[in-house]
Amino acid sequence: MNAPAPNQARNGTSPHRGETGTITGRVFDIKRFALHDGPGIRTTAFLKGCPLACRWCQNPEGIPRDPLLFYHREQCIRCRRCIGVCPEGALSAREEHSGGAGDTRNTSDTDDQGARTDFITIDRSLCRGCGQCIEACPTRALTWDSTLYTVEELFQELQKDRVFFDSSGGGITLSGGEPLAQPEFVQALLERCHTEGLHTALETTLQTSRAVLERVLPLTRLFLADLKLADPEEHRRFTGVANQQILENARFLADRKAPILFRLPLIPQTTTSHDNISRIARFVKSLPGNYSLELINFNPLASGKYRMLGQPYPYADHTAPLPEPEVEALAALVRAEGVPRG
Amino acid sequence: MKTPPRELLHLTMTDRIARLREATRGEQRLFSIDQALIITESYRDHRGEPRVLQRAHALARALREIPLRIDPDEMILGNRTPSIRAGVVTPEAGISWIERELATLEDRPQDPFAVRPDDARRFTEEIRPFWRGKTLEEAVEERLGREIEAIRRVVKINQTDHAQGHICPNVPRWLSLGPRGIQEEAELRLRDAPDEEQPFLQAVVVVMEGALDFITRYSELVRGTPAGDICSALTRRPPRSYHEALQSVWFLFVILQMESNASSFSPGRMDQYLLPFLEEDLRKETLTIAGALELTEALWIKFNQIVYMRNASSAEYFAGFPIGFNVAIGGMKRDGSDGTNILSWIFLKAQEHLGLPQPNLSARLWRGSPREFIDQCARVIGLGSGMPQIVNDESIIPALESLGIDRDDARDYAVVGCVELSPSGNSLGWSDAAMFNLVKALELALNDGVCLLTGERLGPATGTLEDYPSFEALQEGFRRQIDYFMDRMIPLCDAVDRMHAEFLPSPFLSALVDSCLESGRDVTAGGARYNLSGIQAIQVANVADSLAALKHLVYDTHQIPAARVLSALRENFVGDEELRKNLISRVPKYGNDQEWVDLLGARWVEYFADRLQNFTNARGGAYQMGLYTVSAHVPMGKNVGATPDGRRAREPLADGGVSAMYGRDTAGPTALLRSLGRLPFSKAGNGTLLNIKFLPRTFTNPEEREKFVALLYAMLLLGIHHLQCNVVDEKTLREAQARPDEHENLTIRVAGYTAYFVELAPDLQEEIITRTTYGETPL
Ligand code: SF4
Ligand code: SF4
Repeated sequence: MNAPAPNQARNGTSPHRGETGTITGRVFDIKRFALHDGPGIRTTAFLKGCPLACRWCQNPEGIPRDPLLFYHREQCIRCRRCIGVCPEGALSAREEHSGGAGDTRNTSDTDDQGARTDFITIDRSLCRGCGQCIEACPTRALTWDSTLYTVEELFQELQKDRVFFDSSGGGITLSGGEPLAQPEFVQALLERCHTEGLHTALETTLQTSRAVLERVLPLTRLFLADLKLADPEEHRRFTGVANQQILENARFLADRKAPILFRLPLIPQTTTSHDNISRIARFVKSLPGNYSLELINFNPLASGKYRMLGQPYPYADHTAPLPEPEVEALAALVRAEGVPRG
Repeated sequence: MKTPPRELLHLTMTDRIARLREATRGEQRLFSIDQALIITESYRDHRGEPRVLQRAHALARALREIPLRIDPDEMILGNRTPSIRAGVVTPEAGISWIERELATLEDRPQDPFAVRPDDARRFTEEIRPFWRGKTLEEAVEERLGREIEAIRRVVKINQTDHAQGHICPNVPRWLSLGPRGIQEEAELRLRDAPDEEQPFLQAVVVVMEGALDFITRYSELVRGTPAGDICSALTRRPPRSYHEALQSVWFLFVILQMESNASSFSPGRMDQYLLPFLEEDLRKETLTIAGALELTEALWIKFNQIVYMRNASSAEYFAGFPIGFNVAIGGMKRDGSDGTNILSWIFLKAQEHLGLPQPNLSARLWRGSPREFIDQCARVIGLGSGMPQIVNDESIIPALESLGIDRDDARDYAVVGCVELSPSGNSLGWSDAAMFNLVKALELALNDGVCLLTGERLGPATGTLEDYPSFEALQEGFRRQIDYFMDRMIPLCDAVDRMHAEFLPSPFLSALVDSCLESGRDVTAGGARYNLSGIQAIQVANVADSLAALKHLVYDTHQIPAARVLSALRENFVGDEELRKNLISRVPKYGNDQEWVDLLGARWVEYFADRLQNFTNARGGAYQMGLYTVSAHVPMGKNVGATPDGRRAREPLADGGVSAMYGRDTAGPTALLRSLGRLPFSKAGNGTLLNIKFLPRTFTNPEEREKFVALLYAMLLLGIHHLQCNVVDEKTLREAQARPDEHENLTIRVAGYTAYFVELAPDLQEEIITRTTYGETPL
């Protein structure tokens, strides 16, 4: 019996491994018993890297392709080891008002709201990703946000819940980030699943090349595609890119009769205008085939992740999910365009 | 029956049932000496007779003299005490604990009972003196006290001060013969029975006569009413209608409780054996489905009127008066086909309406169970009572067969009490003979047999963690500690078992367990067809996590020296919190689908189960393993010093039985179930217990419920005996806020993103709690 260290073991030393030889992919989360990522019980792998940068992104660590350092303040026992080992001087400690350094039981510092405050500050402009602080931290308060996998390794991990896939009609879902930002890896993984008879779903922004889409099309049993904003300029403003390629790709997949579930994230004051909802519904209606459009209510839970990354979250405090009647009202707009609700 | 009868779907609780339920809930729990006074008188009159006859006369007299009670609206009659939910004193079994705890009974934190001053006085003046030196409890203390004490911190020997219960009587036999028929059978056998069987058979005649008198008293009390007619019929002949059958079943369990006053007399597969009565009524159109449901609910309420008073320490082990009227629904029939029938659906509906703690409803599921039935079980679970619990025919039937139980009998198993397993009507399972604390044995293996909490030597000097040159050597030390305590435990279990035959023969119960009358032997003396004893191995999660931490950090990767771990354990991590965090965060934990960790736990419970097979119990049957603690993980944890899984001294062990350590199963329910699938369930025929928490939404949203049902199907295939769901409601989330360490694994699922509740900022937690309470906005 061989005992690997828990999570993150394989990317503990350097985040830049695996660039040679076998195809590898960078995964920032694997979620088992996923209930909302396609039919049945699913295991979803979240791949890093995204051509979009939506301001409301739920998984900010999924946007950059390179690994990032996570700081879990609940775990930190304030031993300062990480500061000592960092060759770049990227880490510093917050000024303390009580208890000294090395008081390892002093883990209950809280701010005015009762939330634990950060002890370590990471200057990300200085960090070179050497991982020494992660090795030194005794409590895993510092971790990488992601793990590097070979196709076979990830496949083995994802197929573990096969007995549940079989009992529920589930399977695996590749999500992100944008999974197709790692096209060779994703293609190889889907092929592996295909030969094993596992149901595959691909959650994609559709911001990818036609050629990549063509390659994964026969290997994907269900596309989960987000349509966010109908107006190209608005789309560029909130996500960083225009939506032309996305809409073209949607039409391309529809022409090929690909199974697609379109989804519209309800971001208050951003995607929820009646005009936007109706226009997106009209677009879905214009596609060949009777596609449905699901409205996904806003969820404010991402702020914890932004905190671990030390980034501000524009939607953090003042945004709540839409009340159910409002969601219903928007759903009525979708129905009014003759589009089934997903 | 694959779908519920349409008529049943929209039935609501009747006003009458609502009133009965309120009345039951509202009544104060009293300490009761009514029966003890009668019993004491009876023993005075029967001095010098064989114990079995003394017991029989005492029961018969109680049945004739106990004050009766009938409440307005009642459809099912019968109580064992004048007040309901009373704590009954049974002097033959043990009362010195009552003497010690009488003053605190009213105010103890767990399961208090109100004591009327006059009762306290009569207990002290009239009851206690007569019984001094005559009870099971005192005899156990006198004969075995020292030995029990010597192993107490590792092994808790049970059944030392009360009758052991935990049995599924042959209810169909009672329904077809009634007390009259059974009495006649005993009389017949008496004619040519050898001398040594005479007292037992005479005792059966005496108690059945008493039972008839008891039922007659009720019939006279309500003469001229429909209930009176039913009682009067039951004195003359077996029941014919569903109502009569339910009334007869309830009399049976009241009398069983009056004889034994013990936990977990379980009715078992009521939906199977009551079906002919209901079908006949429906055919003759003398009862509607609505009527059948109301009668069922009336009986369900009665199941809540008997509670069981334990001593303070036991009350901690089994908190909340569990009395264990376990009713099974669905499951495989003796012929191998599915048994889900109209009564399975009605019972489920009754649970939905009442949501009471009793009966403890168990859904027996297998591959042949109708999907709709599982779906409706899931929906009822989601209403918040956590019931029905799920038991798995696919794994339980083979586990019972491997104990030498015939296939048909194995298929006809019942759940007794909480999760204990037993064939129906023919077995004394003695399922709670003892609890073996493997975690404490591991502590001793790490510290040369010396208790970390007290410094006392408890086990053999096998060396300390520092002395073991390899992980294998450490495990060898662990094995020796286990062997040492097992070898001391078994003779004690046997001795206690034999003393039950000596002090608490149970002729009424015996008459309802197959083979006892034929063999002329009381059930406590091995008269049953199957005789087993169950020992619980506790607790696989802590053993796996502790061994995994030592293997990985100390032996495989040499990250931490053994000396540092040992001294941290001795100091309860004071001054080395860093090490504790390391132990927790740098090693994977049981329950996360990490095979090597899970197997470390599986290996040791399997070792324990295998070694139990070397022993035969006092009744000539097998010892077998169970993996459950009910609520004992808390008091058992109080006996254990700091452990290498990062658990501090005296903190609770993992809950349930096979659950992961709280907060450590972070990979979700599918990973947990796969981990559990590695345990030797085929060798845990005594029962296992798993608690899982889900959000209410999992059960209320039909799409998610379908996925939960699929999860249950997979659990059946993975061979996990038992699962019980806690629906995570606002209360739980509030607790998680207050004690985040214990709820690290509580996840809130959202589209494309899972959040750990305790990692969320307080304002967001508030947000979620509000949402969950209303349960409307999708999470
Ligand atoms: S990973 Fe970054 S912060 Fe950590 S030690 Fe290396 S340079 Fe410093
Ligand atoms: S992040 Fe880790 S190494 Fe740094 S102070 Fe906190 S516990 Fe110590």
